Amino acid sequence: MKKLLTLAAFAAGMSGLSVSAHAQDCTTKVGAVLPTSVDWGRPIAEVAQFAVDQVNEAGGAAGCKIEMVLRDTQVDPKVGVDAAKALVDLEGVNVLLGAVSSGVSMPILTSVTAPGGVMQMSCCSSSTAFTKLSEEGKTNGLWFRTFATTAVQSAMGAKVASDKGYKSVAILYKNDDWGQDMARLIAADFAAAGIEVTGSVAINDAQPSYRAEVTEALGGSPDAIYLALYPNEGTSAVREWISLGGTQNMILANSLKSDEFRDNVGLQYLENALGTDTASPRVASADAFKAAYVEKFGSEPNGPGLANSFDAAMIALLAMEAAGANASGADIAAAVAKVTDPDGAPITADVAGVTAAKETLAGGGTVKYQGATGDVRFDANGDVSAPAVIWKFTDSGTDEVEYLSLGEVDAFIASLKK
Amino acid sequence: MIGVVSYLVFFTTVAAILGIAVMGLNLQWGNTGLFNGGVVASFGAGAYATLMLGGPPQDGHVGGFGLVYPLALAGGMLAAGILAWIVGKLTLRLRHDYLAIATFGVAVAFENVMRNATTITGGAQGIRGFERPLRAMLGDGFTYNVVFLVGVLVTLVLVYVFLERLTVSPFGRMLRAIREDETAARSLGKAPDRIRLISFVTGSVIIGLAGGLYGTFYAFVSPQDVLPILTFQIWAMLIVGGAGNTKGALAGAFIIWGAWTFSGWALSRFAPIEAQLYTGSIQFVLIGLVIVGMLLWRPQGLFPERLVVSQPGQNREKTQAEGFT
Amino acid sequence: MIQHLVDGILVGSFLSLGAIGLTMVMHILRFANFSHAELLSIGAYCALVFDKLFESLSPFLAAKIGPLSMTAALALSILVSMALTGLSAVVIDRLVFRRVREKGGELSMVFASFGMSLVIRNVIGLIFGLSSELYSRDIAFAMVISRDPLLLVKPDQVFVLIAALLIMFALYLVLSRTRFGFALRAIAENPNLAQVHGVNLKRMIVAVWLIGGSLGAIAGVFYGLSYQITPVMGRDLVLPIFAATIVGGIGSVYGAVLGGFIVGVASNLALVILPSGYSPSVPFLMILLVLLIRPNGLFGEARA
Repeated sequence: MKKLLTLAAFAAGMSGLSVSAHAQDCTTKVGAVLPTSVDWGRPIAEVAQFAVDQVNEAGGAAGCKIEMVLRDTQVDPKVGVDAAKALVDLEGVNVLLGAVSSGVSMPILTSVTAPGGVMQMSCCSSSTAFTKLSEEGKTNGLWFRTFATTAVQSAMGAKVASDKGYKSVAILYKNDDWGQDMARLIAADFAAAGIEVTGSVAINDAQPSYRAEVTEALGGSPDAIYLALYPNEGTSAVREWISLGGTQNMILANSLKSDEFRDNVGLQYLENALGTDTASPRVASADAFKAAYVEKFGSEPNGPGLANSFDAAMIALLAMEAAGANASGADIAAAVAKVTDPDGAPITADVAGVTAAKETLAGGGTVKYQGATGDVRFDANGDVSAPAVIWKFTDSGTDEVEYLSLGEVDAFIASLKK
Repeated sequence: MIGVVSYLVFFTTVAAILGIAVMGLNLQWGNTGLFNGGVVASFGAGAYATLMLGGPPQDGHVGGFGLVYPLALAGGMLAAGILAWIVGKLTLRLRHDYLAIATFGVAVAFENVMRNATTITGGAQGIRGFERPLRAMLGDGFTYNVVFLVGVLVTLVLVYVFLERLTVSPFGRMLRAIREDETAARSLGKAPDRIRLISFVTGSVIIGLAGGLYGTFYAFVSPQDVLPILTFQIWAMLIVGGAGNTKGALAGAFIIWGAWTFSGWALSRFAPIEAQLYTGSIQFVLIGLVIVGMLLWRPQGLFPERLVVSQPGQNREKTQAEGFT
Repeated sequence: MIQHLVDGILVGSFLSLGAIGLTMVMHILRFANFSHAELLSIGAYCALVFDKLFESLSPFLAAKIGPLSMTAALALSILVSMALTGLSAVVIDRLVFRRVREKGGELSMVFASFGMSLVIRNVIGLIFGLSSELYSRDIAFAMVISRDPLLLVKPDQVFVLIAALLIMFALYLVLSRTRFGFALRAIAENPNLAQVHGVNLKRMIVAVWLIGGSLGAIAGVFYGLSYQITPVMGRDLVLPIFAATIVGGIGSVYGAVLGGFIVGVASNLALVILPSGYSPSVPFLMILLVLLIRPNGLFGEARA
């Protein structure tokens, strides 16, 4: 017993040491409301924690060590809102990361963070309703998301199809706010690019079989298929699609950039599959996130929302640093511009970058965060735009096929509008 | 400290709103024996109709009539009532497990329509932009939440009193008579079908009221709010609390919603950091264990139905030992 | 159209297997068991573990049988999994349902089973992770039965259908020709009378759980073989299985079989009529229709 006690005391001493090595005694809490009980939600939370770890390694933010308090949303709005409220009221957080689903993020924004003056940074909520809400002035500038608008994603999908010379495409989309948006946009973009849409089929959550949907999409005998799905139902639908002899010409939304999807479908069937995503900028340091991620998790950061979640956490924490000690949620939200300043000193998305950012900010300068999803830059509504990349699966992860700068993306979107 | 109070106000508001819905369900099941598996359809009809009637005009979908709030809320209740009347006409003659699945199906269809009929309901994005009543006067913060809670509690008490009066009234006795022995009730010249329909619609209107308050509180509703899990939550509250007893229904709402949220708070506080990622799943296990544990401990519910024997001169009450049948 | 019909029948085969177990439990124990579909998950994950184990023991067992994705290892694992799943059903009954049954009403049972389904589903998620698993990553290509109208069928699906039909036939023989089958029916119709005549109720309940569990295990593995295995497969399957049970009429094994096929076909044909976004509600609208015409299901008997 005594031995145990000594051991415990020793351990406590050690952990105390490691904290004091970073020269802080205080802890600032940030809240995270993410669906950790859902297959794609758990890694998103993991990567947010990873960002927090990196910032702590660089000495924390605003003079304190950061502790991320994580709550599960269960993808249930009531539960998510309650968790957010508890984080704000009971844990006293000024910064909230999350949620993933727009249907959960929205009531949190309208009933917890906006009234409470808490900054909310979502990795993955894509609904256009947020932009409208912000335009109506109801977000008080507290809302941000690192998920680039679906418009870029769909335009790139149309670009892939026209570059490859596909004449007709069928669409399978997840029947949620993101999927409905994607399906609507991509259908318009395909039409603008002169590509026939043979069918647009909604894939509902939690159905035992997607065979009927796949059969339906197969009916039009398209040249290619566009998939706006998550890995779980994506795997099920694509395996069915291939086994029924559907074309292996696939265009994938970034949600399918997932090792699970690649492994369960099989690389041999994905040789003609091209994906679209937002891209990191063309600077050597941009691989920092990827390298650090591979070192930590042993695989590339492939999965829906991972890079976005990392950037969301990073930017939030950097903004806390920029806002200084005892800052309110509104102060931190206002400081986001200081860390995503296009004219600021460029910094990388790793420990070295955070350290450099702290020095620059301490000297009164601003920084340009070059994150896992690129040079993130928010507009007045908290939306981001980013360069785009077209990618394909490889043995170890994904390879870039084509890179489009922000200007090229805009030019292509404009060409579709003509 | 102010944080704790602020959170408790918030928690109590949601629990009380759910409690109103549980009381509505209690009228249907506890008093009339109607196994409504589609609670969420009434709840959703109330929420959607309230926001559509009371919200500002929206691009892309109908609604946004900007009605004054009491009218919008009444519209929500009316929508829930009309839906219940149609469903009830079709299904109430079914035996209870069949009734449950039929009404469940209606709820799934309701969610589907909300999700897919983009031009009417906003589709998967839901309905946003609702201006909460009195917000201009009270702001958005703590004061608003306190006033809203008071409003919800007043509503809850009104519903409670209404239901208590109803259950001891001749109409309430008739409901239980039909539940226990329909043939006997019929032989006394009662019309069970019509009375069951009245009970079903009344219960649904109350559930719709809860839905309307819920939509108002969040100023938002989307198909994610009307998934079957809500039906299960409300039912679990009733069964754990004790069906047939309005107090039980209310207690159940607070206990189950408390377990549902407190488990997450406790885990985020006390689970080691390595386990944090798994707390979502662990929380569900805890919730499951609380429900199972409560039912193992008190299978007839926390507050079992009290049989009201109303004979002239002697108002005896006794607890029904073996629960309802 | 014809493709949707055939697909529906194939999907129906594992719904039927699940529904048979559920209908027996609902009939004998008189409660709607929301954790029944979790037995499918338990079965599928059990088989996954033993499949990996057997394959590592002997490479011979890992070879595929004919054109199927099925291996000898998996076939063996199904047997192990049936036993284990049946056993876990009995254990769950002992630990939870029996105690609630003794004192609580039917609805207490329903919500105890709902609580159990949350526990089982999430414990599986904690042990095996939340991502999907597959017995075999290879994709079995469909055979072209006819070009016009286009009709494609996967060998695995034919196997699943035939196996399911054989199992159902075996069960039919047991229920209609053996003493055990009569005892079971007697219990269902009048528990008290049956007990007077020497039928051991407790033993019968164990038997029902064993049958329900092992059929569930087969259904779970077949489902995994056709699609994928996830911790939430029980959640995805519970409603179609309930639908099948109710359409067929509670207590009717034949009804459950037919109900499974009806629900399978209905949800596949749905897309011919409605946009795919509405497909989840179609089985239920189907049920509504059946119940409006036959209030006790196709083969169910009125019961007070």
